[in-house]
Amino acid sequence: MTMTFGAVMRHGRGWLPLIGITALIQSGVTLALPAVLGRSVDAIVAGSGYGRWLWIACTLVATGIVCSLVDVFAGTACVAGTTAWLRHGLVRHVVRGGPEGTRNHETGDLVSRVSGNAVDAAQAGPAAVTALAAVVPPVGSLVLLAIIDPWLAAAFFGGVVLVIGVLWVFARRTAEISLAYQETQGRIASLLTESLTGIRTILAAGTSRREESRILTLLPELHKHGLLTWRILARSGAQAAIVGPLVLVAVLAVGGLQLVDGRITAGELFAASQYAVLGAGLGSLTGVIGEIARARAGVQRAAEVYSVESIAHGTLPLPAGPGRLTFDEATVVVGETVLLDNLTLDIPGGATVAVVGPSGAGKSVFAALAARLRDPTTGQVLLDGIPLPAVHRRALRTAIGCAFERPLLVGSTIGDAISHHAVNTVRTLAAARATHAHDFISRLPHGYRTPLPRAPMSGGERQRLGLARAWPANRLLVLDDATSSLDTATEMQISKTLTEDRHHRTRLIVTHRPATAAHADLVIWLEHGRLRAFGPHDDLWQDPAYREVFG
Amino acid sequence: MKRELSYGATALKKRAAVRLAVWSVPEILPTALYGVAVAHATDSFLAGQAWQGIAWLGGLVATAFLGAAGSHQVYGRLGELVEPLRDDLVRRVVRGALRTGDDAAVARLNRQVEIVRDTFAGLVLVIRNFAVTLIGVLTGLLSLAPVIAGFVIPPFLLGFAASLAVLGLAAERMRTSLQADEELAATAGMAFGGVRDVTAMGAEEFAERLVGRPIDNQAEAERSLAKVAALRTLCFAIGGWAPLLILLAVGPWLVGRGVSTGTLLGGLTYVLIGLQPALSTVMGALGDSGLRYVVTLGRILDAQPPTDPARPVVESRGHQVKLRGLTFAYGPAAEPVLADLDLTVTEGDHLAVVGPSGIGKSTLAGLICGMLAPTSGRLLLGGVPPSELSTERLAQTRVLIPQEAYVFSGTVRENLSYLLPDATSSEVAQAVEAVGAGRLVDRLGGLGARVKPNELSAGERQLIALARAYLSPAPLVVLDEATCFLDPEAERRAEEAFAARGGTLIVIAHRISSALRARRILVLDGNKAAIGNHTTLLRTSPLYRELLGHWQPGSDRIQPAS
Repeated sequence: MTMTFGAVMRHGRGWLPLIGITALIQSGVTLALPAVLGRSVDAIVAGSGYGRWLWIACTLVATGIVCSLVDVFAGTACVAGTTAWLRHGLVRHVVRGGPEGTRNHETGDLVSRVSGNAVDAAQAGPAAVTALAAVVPPVGSLVLLAIIDPWLAAAFFGGVVLVIGVLWVFARRTAEISLAYQETQGRIASLLTESLTGIRTILAAGTSRREESRILTLLPELHKHGLLTWRILARSGAQAAIVGPLVLVAVLAVGGLQLVDGRITAGELFAASQYAVLGAGLGSLTGVIGEIARARAGVQRAAEVYSVESIAHGTLPLPAGPGRLTFDEATVVVGETVLLDNLTLDIPGGATVAVVGPSGAGKSVFAALAARLRDPTTGQVLLDGIPLPAVHRRALRTAIGCAFERPLLVGSTIGDAISHHAVNTVRTLAAARATHAHDFISRLPHGYRTPLPRAPMSGGERQRLGLARAWPANRLLVLDDATSSLDTATEMQISKTLTEDRHHRTRLIVTHRPATAAHADLVIWLEHGRLRAFGPHDDLWQDPAYREVFG
Repeated sequence: MKRELSYGATALKKRAAVRLAVWSVPEILPTALYGVAVAHATDSFLAGQAWQGIAWLGGLVATAFLGAAGSHQVYGRLGELVEPLRDDLVRRVVRGALRTGDDAAVARLNRQVEIVRDTFAGLVLVIRNFAVTLIGVLTGLLSLAPVIAGFVIPPFLLGFAASLAVLGLAAERMRTSLQADEELAATAGMAFGGVRDVTAMGAEEFAERLVGRPIDNQAEAERSLAKVAALRTLCFAIGGWAPLLILLAVGPWLVGRGVSTGTLLGGLTYVLIGLQPALSTVMGALGDSGLRYVVTLGRILDAQPPTDPARPVVESRGHQVKLRGLTFAYGPAAEPVLADLDLTVTEGDHLAVVGPSGIGKSTLAGLICGMLAPTSGRLLLGGVPPSELSTERLAQTRVLIPQEAYVFSGTVRENLSYLLPDATSSEVAQAVEAVGAGRLVDRLGGLGARVKPNELSAGERQLIALARAYLSPAPLVVLDEATCFLDPEAERRAEEAFAARGGTLIVIAHRISSALRARRILVLDGNKAAIGNHTTLLRTSPLYRELLGHWQPGSDRIQPAS
């Protein structure tokens, strides 16, 4: 679906009439109150009829309070509900869009769309319906001022001119806001980051104090820039202190003269002063416009994510088969660049196949096609005779596992990062043992239940979790440079497990190491996105160009 | 919450706070004069004395300028209060991070410290404004008609007190909301960063649930905050609206007692222009900035490590390493990494530790260097437990070079003489030459050149760390996979330099070739261990044979030196 301002508004439609009506009533109360208060005072002075005016004032105030209570609940219910709905939708689109869907977005940018922009976007409905209500008090005040006495309205505008004059005098001297503060702060942060990369050295050498003073040499500079930012604020603070009373005094002075002439009553003068204050709220209307603009921007940011298409999956199960993988004229083109060029290959089921080639040869794209992490631009990839897009998602993911050079672990604990079904199931344990991850996991403070953020791991340990995660696949295992950070001892153990694998799965191993290629049944040699050769390592080894691949 | 409030209160015990209070006095004047001016001006107009009325209004404008001058000074003084507080927080975060190595400290430095800075300043300003308004209105009312103050001020204070009580209710909910917010950002970052992995695992539903939980928690927290906002509206009804209506209700009685029309209007003006905005601002600020301040400052203070207990300073003799029944586990529920290990490394020995990664080799290095304490058993360094040695003595006894080499922005020389600041140029040059870093130092532009750590490769960083360790005064050198990014030939040169340096060398091996150069080898396998030399281990340790078998000549990666 496409996401528009209207769609966001429609989601909150149950609440919007209520929010709009209470906002209008509140505006009405705000507008009526000065007049009622003025009449009450006149009635008090006149000594008659004040009971009725008091009663009206009480009713007005009570109505205002009830409306604002309703507004709080309705507004929150609407915004909280819409925010959650938008967020769930954003998450679904990012996750279902697959790795290609959001390739052009930074992770941090996507997160800010979900955490920050979604709240702004959810304001779309309430902001639109209350905009009208927000215009009522200031505009109504000016009209009422003019009704009480046209000269009062003239005085109001005179006051506004005075205010503009004062602001102009001040504005001339307002310096540009200093960026230096943020820059200094960034420099301190980067010095700290630098020290943290060497924290083990620092702790061992006992040089924390020295590091501390090295990082904090910039602190006095930060202090200096910080003081400057307050001085800039001081100007606007002083402006506010003068601007506030100017309009009020202008209206009171003109109104006073009218009072002397008996054209208005004391109560009306009071009402006029209050309308002058309300009328000055005209400036804050920019806030309302700003809120709508922010909501529009938030909706726009959400819409970009909503336009990411989800990966389509078929409904077919996989027929029984050995895991035969077929590339049928598969080509991948991104923009003008051809990443894989017309690849046709038939990989026998159950074989161990190494994928080699210089960097940029298209090895990872090849692996991604095999695991259906992306689809070829033209041509197709088939597993046991069924094109991958036709296979049901569950069946596909049960059949194919994929491990990466830099696995990103997703889950709240180590256990669910390996298997998201349940912690410590037989499957998790078996996978962790097979990939030699069990030993180091069981030594973590809470074993498999150790929260991920509190389990600092080396690149090799991460890779082993990534392997464990992919291990249960029953038909095809794709390892995209997935053992590169392991020390030689561990790598040896894992490649042994791989070759002795009793599941007879097809294994596709992207590698830079000739030993791995030598152990494989067949080698796919890629170059510039094209298949250079496909055959046993020993045959290819005769070719000096092949040997050069391993540098 | 007490801790956070007293932290803020301490920051206020400064001369700047007094100056801020003093400069607030000019601002009281226009506030106090507001109602008085309206009252007298109205009465003058009613009496037909137009110019007298205008004069009162003119006086109001004049005091407004005075107030503006005060306000200008107040902001300046505010900086003098807030910046030292920020400095202190930056210092705390940096100091804490350097003791715990917590990477989250960088986020704390940028975001959380700024939130505390802004909210603290906001709170000081708002509370000061509240006080200025209250004092101003009170002064004005007392000079105008004390009896009006009697009707207006008590309900106002009652409403204010009630809103303070509501604050306690809000704190917990606000904390939940902020927590859900952070959790949302964290889980979303994890799931979005790992979309490729989620797709590969078919874990789409799992990821949606993972991020969905904080989304729903956040919505729930917002709804529950709405209840607090509703209570706040009721507090405002008491503190803001009740005084107004009471004043109207007793109006006839007041007029009967000789209170003028102008005075009654002045009273209403104080409530509408003075008290109501002040109350709503202070309630909003305490409910939002105040809670944000408490919660965020709490985070920063919580992240501070407890102060180290004073180390009993004992003198060590020599640098022999002796382990007896050493056992170490990362938590009470965790399997031990090392169990019941006995080992003696005599002075001048050259030991290599081999075994699969994650088996506890780095843990052993950390234990020997006194970075970790044994769970049970004994570890003696020069005859005493490392935990009983002073940091300086420890640094003079052993040097640890971890896998992740530390290079900082500074000159090459500063980086190299990090562990021996008064090293002579010839000493530095000799160390550089010994570990084979000569070409690197030349490329960087000599000892005086500045290093940009990001521009060095992992191997080049390791060369700098090695030269630095070579220069250290410590006789015991522990290389914890410190040469893993060097090629085998450079690794050989560096290890041989350390072996020839004198003192003891312990190498946690990344490649088996390191073991072949050592005098003795410790093979770690699960929590079993075997010690010996190459010949004996070939006979006694199946794991050693297996490890070695993979690198027999003819294999591609490493040609053992033997």
